[in-house]
Amino acid sequence: MTSILKNIALAATVATTALLGTTAAQAEGEKYILVSHAPDSDSWWNTIKNGIALAGEQMDVEVEYRNPPTGDLADMARIIEQAAASQPDGIITTLADFDVLSGPIRAAVDQGINVIIMNSGTPEQVREVGALMFVGQPEYDAGYAAGLRAKGDGIGSFVCVNHVISNTVVAERCRGFADGLGVDLGSQMIDSGQDPAEIKNRVTAYLTANPETDAILTLGPTSADPTIAAVKEMGIAGDIYFGTFDLGTEIVNGIKDGTINWGIDQQPFLQAYLPVVVLTNYDRYGVLPGNNINSGPGFVTKDALGKVEEFAGQYR
Amino acid sequence: MSDATQTDERIKDISRLRKTLIRPELGGIVGTIAVFTFFLLFAFDSGMFNAQGVMNWTVVSAQFVIIAVGACLLMISGEFDLSVGSMIGFAGMMIAIFGVTLDWPMWSAILITFAICIAFGALNGYIVVRTGLPSFIVTLATLFILRGFTIFIPQTLERKTIIGGIREAAEGDWLAPVFGSKIFGGLFQWLGDMGVIGTFTRGNRTGEPVVDGIPMLIIWALLLVAFGHILLTRTRFGNWIFASGGDADAARNSGVPVNKVKILMFMFTAFCATVFATCQVMEFGSAGADRGLLKEFEAIIAVVIGGALLTGGYGSVIGAALGALIFGVVQQGLFFAGVESSLFRVFLGVILLFAVILNTYIRRIITGER
Amino acid sequence: MSEPIIRMKDIEKHFGSVIALAGVSVDVFAGECHCLLGDNGAGKSTFIKTMSGVHKPTKGEIIFEGKPLDFADPRDAIAAGIATVHQHLAMIPLMSVSRNFFMGNEPIKKVAGLRFFDHDYANRVTMEEMKKMGINLRGPDQAVGTLSGGERQTVAIARAVHFGAKVLILDEPTSALGVRQTSNVLATVDKVRKAGIGVVFITHNVRHAMAVGDRFTVLNRGQTLGTATRGEITPEELQDMMAGGQELATLEGSLGGTV
Repeated sequence: MTSILKNIALAATVATTALLGTTAAQAEGEKYILVSHAPDSDSWWNTIKNGIALAGEQMDVEVEYRNPPTGDLADMARIIEQAAASQPDGIITTLADFDVLSGPIRAAVDQGINVIIMNSGTPEQVREVGALMFVGQPEYDAGYAAGLRAKGDGIGSFVCVNHVISNTVVAERCRGFADGLGVDLGSQMIDSGQDPAEIKNRVTAYLTANPETDAILTLGPTSADPTIAAVKEMGIAGDIYFGTFDLGTEIVNGIKDGTINWGIDQQPFLQAYLPVVVLTNYDRYGVLPGNNINSGPGFVTKDALGKVEEFAGQYR
Repeated sequence: MSDATQTDERIKDISRLRKTLIRPELGGIVGTIAVFTFFLLFAFDSGMFNAQGVMNWTVVSAQFVIIAVGACLLMISGEFDLSVGSMIGFAGMMIAIFGVTLDWPMWSAILITFAICIAFGALNGYIVVRTGLPSFIVTLATLFILRGFTIFIPQTLERKTIIGGIREAAEGDWLAPVFGSKIFGGLFQWLGDMGVIGTFTRGNRTGEPVVDGIPMLIIWALLLVAFGHILLTRTRFGNWIFASGGDADAARNSGVPVNKVKILMFMFTAFCATVFATCQVMEFGSAGADRGLLKEFEAIIAVVIGGALLTGGYGSVIGAALGALIFGVVQQGLFFAGVESSLFRVFLGVILLFAVILNTYIRRIITGER
Repeated sequence: MSEPIIRMKDIEKHFGSVIALAGVSVDVFAGECHCLLGDNGAGKSTFIKTMSGVHKPTKGEIIFEGKPLDFADPRDAIAAGIATVHQHLAMIPLMSVSRNFFMGNEPIKKVAGLRFFDHDYANRVTMEEMKKMGINLRGPDQAVGTLSGGERQTVAIARAVHFGAKVLILDEPTSALGVRQTSNVLATVDKVRKAGIGVVFITHNVRHAMAVGDRFTVLNRGQTLGTATRGEITPEELQDMMAGGQELATLEGSLGGTV
């Protein structure tokens, strides 16, 4: 038994020392932690990881990325508490559910840790938790702008494919879109789940059951990619009006081949990169921009795809 | 009786030291020591062992402990419950629906939620013992059913899947603090004043300690461990739990009411899940449709790290609690130690594997199974 | 020994169109070992299940201590004092000997009004009872899984005796055991018999039956081929009766009487 234990201990120590070496030796400077609400499976956050890595390198600071593995927001609250306990110079986090997250965030702020809210949250909520600023896309406004655009293109009904039904902020996009169109959201939002095959089947089922649907709105690559496959399979690609939030390789290809009319880019890179830069400069020189930073919305259509295509899924 | 004396001789070569070491909790004890040694070495000055850090991993571990106690007793009685995670989401949502949407007094919302969830637990158990189907399948069905309701009901009633405002609705309630409050606040204020633990340096809580009390969650965890341990080792019913899981037919032949035992254990597991959910919604003030995802596996993992046998009939509540502690400390500690967060699952897998190998070895020595 | 403890009269048991027992009569006196012999499929299992209340006889009568009995389920039989030690023992290998010994009959002590398992009592009684049967345990917390097959049988028998069995049914207790363990179990049977309990010993091994049996009943194809007292019958005759006569007789010649 003792020999088994020794081996276990030895193997564990060796493995961890190797891992620790890579992260601990990175920087001597400031340390920041980015806490997201996304489950491990959400590929969109890869751009965020690349963004903080680049910013960390350029500013010579250490930035860690943490997330609740299953996307459980209660777990995320624990991660924020834990991040605060490790006494970093700053925390960058989302405000996906104000009820759950405001307590831990406020506690971190009150301990003297600078907090920047990224991606999800409203300006009022950001002020209330005492964060320095908000970097992101005001979701309702973005949805509303998209709705107005679609209305101009003659759209009267739509289906909103929501893959993160539990995230109230993301659902605002659908509400904004409906209001922009001037229609009632009603049951036009479907809970698609996260699994590609399921999403595809549910979209197909919805469009088959409601053939008079004018437009599709997807809320990110997770729901857009399978939806592209669904409309192609149904033979209505290019026929049906298709808008999406966020970009990704498949979405860019979709825009290029005409399946997707436009993508709304909230430019996640900026949501990750800018907070690190802002925090570092605030810590070093005490300078701070005077207002929230809107990283989006930017409409991406077929005409402006060059850089987008080059860096899709990486920095775009 | 030549055989008997000979057996005696063969057994005597197990030394006294080894005999005292060899117990079901050994794997958990060894693991706990190893994990703490590791983090003391690699994450000592990371904030993991200041008051706030300790409270952080203690709370996370206590959450695991609460569901692990239920899962442990159920597993020893020979069954699984995969619906624990869904039950957590469902229970939280029921409290929000009754307490906020329907505006009932919070105590009645909590009590009715406990009744509903325990009834679901009983239904799980009833279906398992009546049909003889594996509990794995039956509770997998419950997993989907409960999760579906947890999304459907608030969407129908409120057009959203997160219902907030529970904290406000619970204000002044007599039962809610049993789950959501903190105790020993004065002691922590004193410790903060003494400078033993850090205090807030700005905002409207300036001067208050960063850890301002022991959450009831931890008290629940301790009570459930004590209750589970005594029930299992010191009562007639505990013997029936072991017997039902060890060999249901043999137990029935000896007059143990196996079906009753199993149904009660399903109900107890549901009770634990509801305690977890109630503490969570009272602390965070909102219930979400995605709460508790995969918690059933976390409970089972903690129980298995703690030395229980997946097939039933063997295990220890103390072991399961240590398993939950290991799980919680590793999960939070890896962050403190600065390990890339995506590697958490790798560590979890490795620990699980080692724990199971070690526990299998210990169990073979104790029980002579081959 | 004027009146048998239990008398099974003309027991018939039908399962649908299959006649498992076609009029079997057996009686057991206190302090005797009545061996029930038969080949596989002879109806031994059905018969003891009828005796222990698992099955209700289709026809026939069970008279227990002079009164006709009608068991609703096995618990009635156990309550009346008919204990069965099954082929698949009612023993749980992962549990300790003392927990097994008291399974379903746990001793209770009250502490502050709450009912707790009295481990001290259970441990003491287990050690005493096992010592009586000639087994020295390492401790009462030793798991049953660490015991040999013979020792497990002995624990099961000791448990039945301790909880007041008047008739003890042993279902093939020696069939899976080695030579020495078999002799241990047979010695245990002898002790139980001497304690005044009626033992029904089911086996298909004539040697084991001859070693402890007082009377022998052979079952074949659901029927009794008669009951013989010790000394009235030779092992060879029993063997022949079990096999249904002639077939084995011819076979036996070629095997040199070793079966």
